[in-house]
Amino acid sequence: MPESFAQPMPTMGGAGRTADKPVTVFDWLLAVAVVALAAVIARAIWFTPPEALQGEAQKIFYIHVPAAVVGLYLACPLVAIGGAMYLWLRDERLDRLAESSAEIALVFLSIVLVTGPLWGKPIWGTWWTWDARLTSTLFLWFILLGYTVLRGAIEDRQQRARYSAVLGILAALLVPFIHLSVRLFRTMHPQPIVLTPDKPKLSAEMGLTLSLAFVAFSLLFVAMLRGRLKYAALRDQVEARESGDA
Amino acid sequence: MPDNASYMFAAYIASAVVVGGWLLSLVSRARAMARRGSAIDAAPRS
Repeated sequence: MPESFAQPMPTMGGAGRTADKPVTVFDWLLAVAVVALAAVIARAIWFTPPEALQGEAQKIFYIHVPAAVVGLYLACPLVAIGGAMYLWLRDERLDRLAESSAEIALVFLSIVLVTGPLWGKPIWGTWWTWDARLTSTLFLWFILLGYTVLRGAIEDRQQRARYSAVLGILAALLVPFIHLSVRLFRTMHPQPIVLTPDKPKLSAEMGLTLSLAFVAFSLLFVAMLRGRLKYAALRDQVEARESGDA
Repeated sequence: MPDNASYMFAAYIASAVVVGGWLLSLVSRARAMARRGSAIDAAPRS
C-alpha cells in the first residue's frame, strides 16, 4: 500500500524552498508484504488441515508464533543494539533505529497478546493465566509502552536518546527470560515443538504454511521499519529546522 | 473436532486491525510532519 502525500517534502535547509518529491513513508515492499500475508492467511484458512484435537482455533498459530518470533527475536534486539550503538557512537540514525524498532516491537507484541487469549479461550478454557510466559510478555509490552511514553516526555533530543537507549537495553534483557520461561517454570503455555528434535513434528502442509508465515511477517517487519525510519528522519529534519539548527 | 473457527477469524481480524491502525497512525503522523515542514517553508523570513 504505497502512500504518497499531497504535502511537499520539507527541505533540510534553504529558506522558502520545497522539494518536488512528495513525502512517501511506505513503498513497494509494504505492498509485497501485505500480498504475502493475505496469501498466507488464505493458505492457512482454506488449504492447511486443522489440528485434530484443537480444531480451527489452532490456525491462530500461523500469526501468533511468527508475530512473537519477529517481535521478540528481531525487533527487540534491534532496540538494544541501536541503543547501545548510540551510546557508543552518538549517531542519531542509531537512535532512530532503536525507537522505530521499539514501536514495531510493540505492534507485534500487541498481536501476540491479542491472539494468545483468543487461542487460549477455546483450548485452555480461559482467556488469560498469570503464568511466566504470558506475564513476562505482558511485562515487556508495558516496558515498550513506557519507552514510547518516555520518548514523548523528553524534549532534549540527546537526553531523550540516552535515556531511551538505557531503557531499550533493559527491555531487551527480558527476551532471554521470556524464551526460557517455559523451561524454567511450570506453565500452561506449550513448549516449542518446531525445530525441536524430540517433539512431535508438524505435518508438511502445516510446516510449509508456518514457514511462509515467517517470511511474510519478516517482510512486513522490514517494510514497517523502513517506513518508520523515514518518518523519524523527516520529524528530526522538521524539528531541527523549527529550532533553527538547520 | 471442536467447532471454534470463530476464534481463528477473530484473531486474524484483530491482528489486521492492530497492524492497519499502526499504518494509518504513521501515515497521519507523517502528513502532520510534512505540514509542519511546509509551514516553515512558507513562513516569512526576517
